[in-house]
Amino acid sequence: MRYVLIAVMFLLSLILPGTLFHFWSWSGIKPDLLMLLTIYIAMHHRRPSGLIWGLVAGLLEDLYLGRYIGMYTLTLTVVASLSYWLAERWYRENFLLTTFMVFIVTSVGQILIAFLSLGAGLHWTLADIGRLVIGVSLFNAILVPLTYPWIHQSFVRGWLRYWPRYER
Amino acid sequence: MVRKRVNVTGIAVLVFFLLLGVLIAIRYTGLGTNFPNPVGGAMQRVLSPLEQPILQVGNAIRDNTRALWDFTEVSRQNEELLKKVDQLTGDNLKLKTEILAGMRYNELDQGQFRSPTLDKFEKIGASVVNRNPTTWYRTLTLNRGSEDGVVANAPVIGDLGLIGKIVSVTPTTSEVLLILDGEGQVSALTRGSTGDGTFGIVQGNYKRGSRLTSEGNLQMLFRREDSINVGDLVLTSGMGGVYPKDVPIGQVKEIQLDPSGLLKTAYIQPLVNFDSLEEVYIVKMVGG
Repeated sequence: MRYVLIAVMFLLSLILPGTLFHFWSWSGIKPDLLMLLTIYIAMHHRRPSGLIWGLVAGLLEDLYLGRYIGMYTLTLTVVASLSYWLAERWYRENFLLTTFMVFIVTSVGQILIAFLSLGAGLHWTLADIGRLVIGVSLFNAILVPLTYPWIHQSFVRGWLRYWPRYER
Repeated sequence: MVRKRVNVTGIAVLVFFLLLGVLIAIRYTGLGTNFPNPVGGAMQRVLSPLEQPILQVGNAIRDNTRALWDFTEVSRQNEELLKKVDQLTGDNLKLKTEILAGMRYNELDQGQFRSPTLDKFEKIGASVVNRNPTTWYRTLTLNRGSEDGVVANAPVIGDLGLIGKIVSVTPTTSEVLLILDGEGQVSALTRGSTGDGTFGIVQGNYKRGSRLTSEGNLQMLFRREDSINVGDLVLTSGMGGVYPKDVPIGQVKEIQLDPSGLLKTAYIQPLVNFDSLEEVYIVKMVGG
């Protein structure tokens, strides 16, 4: 059930930015739902499984987009790693801290995407990069109070609950 | 306590090669490159049927609630559009009027009468912009005035025949006294089937304060022995210097003997329908 739910959430995260958030975009800026979901998953898993989820999510997004394979794979892996590292140090029950964390991690992820885009030969101005990074990060952070309480509850004692191998 | 030894060089090498690999992959799978992507293709095939309804629902919601979200903008657009509709309606009406007027002038030009005398004169096309609101006179206001070369006493003709003469001129308008009005008299002649002309004066019997039908009436006095028949055409005679010659006025409709027995009165049916008059020609006699 857990894997089915995560798979459904992955698919929704791929579909919704191009559909639902097409209507709720702000100056063309949409949230990066898959990055948000990766952050949530990494916060509620141990490091290796969090990294694998990040890698799978990134690879799925790369394949779904059908171009620049590796860009999201690397980014979401880094995002998962950073999320885990921060969640270890910050109290993950604190929604305000989580919101701030999502903003920081999304910013790092978006900066990494921008950096890799430049490496791929795309031409972005610094102003564009700044606008997109801050815009997407803010959008993701705004979604935290709306989504995190449910996801967190589910990860802790609901269908998404993660049982580490040594506890099974 | 035993601390785990971290192989920094190994991690650095791993990260370097990982980054290099990713950059190479990105470079070779960029826009315009054609690489096999069966997983992506399958995902697109599965997800696109889901995306389409969401987009359609989103579009429907956006279209149906646009007025709520963008109330000020929609209100402004609405105001602009209303103004535009008003302007276009006005333009349309103006164009229609001009086209109709043009058609009528054309009709008039190729009309049923073609007076050789009239051809000598310059004519000004004019539209009726007002009718006399009082019951005292039978007059029309035209949209041509002294700026267009209109002068007092200039004859005015319609599509079928004589209408009247200009009695007053402003720079942009002029007033026509219809031949139906008792104040206006026209030197005329009748032509019977033999072609002989009989001269007389056509006079409107719309006297001030009299009670008449909206069509008005025209009458012409003759001597008892004059040969006049019902159906004879009445034309301007050209005498008197106001009206050109051979402009049709009407047809004799009825003939009545005067009680004295010396005269007879012919009642003339005007050829022009004065009630539906919209366009006329003003004939420039002076200097013609």
